[in-house]
Amino acid sequence: MDKVTNVRNMSVIAHVDHGKSTLTDSLVSKAGIISSARAGETRFTDTRQDEQDRCITIKSTAISMFFEMPKDDLPEIKQKTDGNEFLINLIDSPGHVDFSSEVTAALRVTDGALVVVDSVDGVCVQTETVLRQALTEKIKPVLIINKVDRALLELQVSKEDLYTSFQRTIESVNVIISTYLDKSMGDLQVYPEKGTVAFGSGLHGWAFTLRQFAERYSKKFGVDKEKMMGKLWGENYFNPATKKWTTKSSDANGRQLERAFNMFVLDPIFKLFDSIMNFKKEQTATMLEKLDIKLTSDEKDLEGKPLLKVVMRKFLPAGDALLEMICIHLPSPVTAQEYRVEQLYEGPMDDECAMGIRRCDPNAPLMLYVSKMVPTSDKGRFYAFGRVFSGTVRSGLKVRIQGPNYVPGKKEDLFIKSIQRTILMMGRYVESIEDCPAGNIVGLVGVDQFLVKSGTITTSDTAHNLKVMKFSVSPVVEVAVEVKNANDLPKLVEGLKRLSKSDPCVQCYTSPSGEHIVAGAGELHLEICLKDLEEDHAQVPIKIGEPVVQYRETVTAESSIDCLSKSPNKHNRIFMRAMPLDEELANEIEEGKVGPRDDFKTRARELADKYNWDVMEARKIWCFGPDTSGANLLVDTTKAVQYLNEIKDSCVAAFQWATKEGCLAEENMRGIRFNILDVTLHADAIHRGGGQIIPTARRVCYASVLTAEPAIQEPVYLVEIQVPDSAMGGIYGVLNRRRGHVFAEEQRPGTPMMNIKAYLPVNESFGFTAALRQDTGGQAFPQAVFDHWQLMSGSPLEPGNKVYDIIRAVRKRKGLVEDIPKLDNYYDKL
Amino acid sequence: MLYVIGLGLSDETDISVKGLEAVKSCTRVYLEAYTSILMVDKGKLEAFYGKQVIVADREMVESESDKILEGAQEVNVAFLVVGDPYGATTHTDLVIRARELEIPVSVIHNASIMNAIGACGLQLYNFGQTISIVFFTETWRPDSFYERIKENRNLGLHTLCLLDIKVKEQSIENMARGRKIYEPPRYMTIQTAVEQLLEIEENRQENAYTPDTLAIGCARIGTATQQIVSGTLEELRHVDFGGPLHSLVLVGSRMHFLEAEFVKAYAVDKASFEKIAERDYHVKQ
Repeated sequence: MDKVTNVRNMSVIAHVDHGKSTLTDSLVSKAGIISSARAGETRFTDTRQDEQDRCITIKSTAISMFFEMPKDDLPEIKQKTDGNEFLINLIDSPGHVDFSSEVTAALRVTDGALVVVDSVDGVCVQTETVLRQALTEKIKPVLIINKVDRALLELQVSKEDLYTSFQRTIESVNVIISTYLDKSMGDLQVYPEKGTVAFGSGLHGWAFTLRQFAERYSKKFGVDKEKMMGKLWGENYFNPATKKWTTKSSDANGRQLERAFNMFVLDPIFKLFDSIMNFKKEQTATMLEKLDIKLTSDEKDLEGKPLLKVVMRKFLPAGDALLEMICIHLPSPVTAQEYRVEQLYEGPMDDECAMGIRRCDPNAPLMLYVSKMVPTSDKGRFYAFGRVFSGTVRSGLKVRIQGPNYVPGKKEDLFIKSIQRTILMMGRYVESIEDCPAGNIVGLVGVDQFLVKSGTITTSDTAHNLKVMKFSVSPVVEVAVEVKNANDLPKLVEGLKRLSKSDPCVQCYTSPSGEHIVAGAGELHLEICLKDLEEDHAQVPIKIGEPVVQYRETVTAESSIDCLSKSPNKHNRIFMRAMPLDEELANEIEEGKVGPRDDFKTRARELADKYNWDVMEARKIWCFGPDTSGANLLVDTTKAVQYLNEIKDSCVAAFQWATKEGCLAEENMRGIRFNILDVTLHADAIHRGGGQIIPTARRVCYASVLTAEPAIQEPVYLVEIQVPDSAMGGIYGVLNRRRGHVFAEEQRPGTPMMNIKAYLPVNESFGFTAALRQDTGGQAFPQAVFDHWQLMSGSPLEPGNKVYDIIRAVRKRKGLVEDIPKLDNYYDKL
Repeated sequence: MLYVIGLGLSDETDISVKGLEAVKSCTRVYLEAYTSILMVDKGKLEAFYGKQVIVADREMVESESDKILEGAQEVNVAFLVVGDPYGATTHTDLVIRARELEIPVSVIHNASIMNAIGACGLQLYNFGQTISIVFFTETWRPDSFYERIKENRNLGLHTLCLLDIKVKEQSIENMARGRKIYEPPRYMTIQTAVEQLLEIEENRQENAYTPDTLAIGCARIGTATQQIVSGTLEELRHVDFGGPLHSLVLVGSRMHFLEAEFVKAYAVDKASFEKIAERDYHVKQ
């Protein structure tokens, strides 16, 4: 742990059901934590009962493992190392899109990622999402193509087909990677011939990289190992007749040659499969001898699949292949933090904290990022789980706990407390440790009550925050919960607090009408959260309302008139108009590409070039909202107004409030630009304080929206469905009934499986999975991830359309008057 | 008839005889209680007038003025204002509304801080624009008064600074939630005002005034416990003026020698006052 150059922090990421947890078992067994015979079945990192039952990972789980590399392999490691002992901190993350936020939290604390792809399914929607997430966080990927046994046993493909399928998968991964070119990190694409791609079967416990085969053959051919690896992939052929290498696929006589990969790598594997599965005992025996695989007497009695497993596991142990790939190709914290520091730290790049992070210096001030909270066995308490980026954390150390809203130099969202204990997370166990230096992943006891979900822990008074994580999913589905017995209410409230802590993405809040709302990324996510709430966090019986979606309020035209609102004392007037923001700009704001922290001049230039803004106006964007970063803008377009800067604060506060709770149904606003046209103010500051300006600015925002043809947007999922083509009809039926539409449809080459992509309104998604299974005889597997906001046609102001009814329903649920307040509530006549 | 009646500065007996008679003729009596405060409570007023008094807070005056004016065409309604109706706080909006409703309006004047400040010894003729100083917050530090002071000082005129009072204010969060929960009342002290003034001068460095500028702090003018202290801003920073309400006057350079003599009687340190008056204000004693 103290030799940071020999630490590897890595996460395992993939699409759901591609075999992350199963593969992780191989490593866990290699470390001697579980027996190798049970690897692949234990799913050691699925610690929760429901994870075991459902066979999916819900929470990301960390485990620290200790390995020794064979000394001969050390020269292959192209970064600084110290001895042959390695500590791998591995985080197994969930693959279901609903739990993407867990992946984000895992990625933040690691430097490398093992991307797992199913050899049959290929690159799926979630593979792409998590890979993109990893690359944005500057995480270096290596690839394993998993479930190769499926391709061999179920699909019975030929060697060349298997090779092309591998190649296609690798290519699709590299296409995604190539869009994230970063000079500081070097080439990130994965290549089998460089050993950054492995092939294997987690379930059977075997895997290999070309390196292992190259090692075997380099002696035989007397070729250098690295050269050999190059020969074993791509357009390289071996002519057994002439014993010569060539890059042409046929020999001088035009006879087809076999690809080197097929001949030297796949051939032994195919032969083993063939002889064992077809019970050719003698052939098996000779092969085992040839490959130098020794079986115990018990194992000799096995046949068929069990024998195949044992043999393959001895032939190509998955643990060895993975370990080697991880240690050689993934960066150590020292290597990684040098280029990650800019991505991680909010403060200046030359202060002591930034320097400490860049050098991964255990003697610099402490900088630790808490990425999530892990429940302890002690109900209601949490371990704060995170990564030490600089300095050393130890029990009893007095630290500054800085929440996400902390601003350097201020006292808000800041606590100064002592760390009670530092621990190591070991899957289902924890282990106390004395201290933990920079570069490691650690759990802390005693800081959970000072942080909501995440935060920065430091010993430097001048430290800025480590950047807040950006989640790829947003909580768009919500339900109301209430207790069955009124007496249990305090327990529910406490339980909601704990739930909110335990999950990086879930939101718990109380609506103005007093309802307790839980919002999550999708149906499954909510289901799990509510189960946790009922069974663990609150431990009281609860009633759960119908799931509802959040809407966004927007405008579709410019305000028809200059809207005016007067302050309560009538001495101040604000004139304003609202207009729609470019949809693309709104998206860029939500993705964080355009934001409040940009330099205002560069931002103005960009808005002018890309979205035809007036440069001068673009320089006078007062703020983004809601929550100071949302996709609505407040723009000062006034000319020479006296004292304007003295009411800016009040206007900003009012704008935040108005965009958070719009005038249609108190949903968030989205995609609206508010132009302040003119302002007349009382000469004396006392008569234009917050009490006068805030309500006025809010009212004028509302008036501007109501006169600008208001509309609502609903959230839409991108659904990816895999289904055999025979069951396609059922899918179209279900989608049509639910306002969904298919926009892409492609067949996986060589399989009867179809890959369908469709848009589906989140509002129609409840029960979608069940309906789909029913209509396709259980053959379709959908994955839905929030994709975009879609404008709904219809005016919320005139009865007789769906939008009007939706708004009324939302208002009713929130305990508001069902009618939208009339314009004259907000608009004052001159 | 709507009577807008000034109550003066101190207690229930400050009302004029004419005002008292008007109050007695009214069916409803409102007391505006957020722009300033009287030194006595509502009960004392009720006992003195023999009438029930309705306290009108900011919301009532600003948002529900119709309620106040209701039926005033037929009956008499009194709207009591601490100080003078057209003094520091102008209730012009209420009067305009009354006119729109064709309600006759009668205004009965009284003393206001705007004239009572003469008690400090400076002549009212020599005052320039009056300014207010509001409580600074973390993010809101309006300093437009600085320009006004500078203009006054360039003309050699005195500046009356009225100090912020927050009688019944909501926090932004409560306002957003529509909760009628109010912060505890706060009244700015002369010490705070001086500190804020000096902070702005330090930022701007335009020499509108300095820590050596002469000023007069006045507390509870017009009451039995009134307190007047003069000295440099730096000296006043350390004077305890007791309870509200406080006002501050910055002395202009055209200080008349009689003014100076009067003000000197209130000085923290007479010798230093004389020295500065001679050096910076050309007053020979």
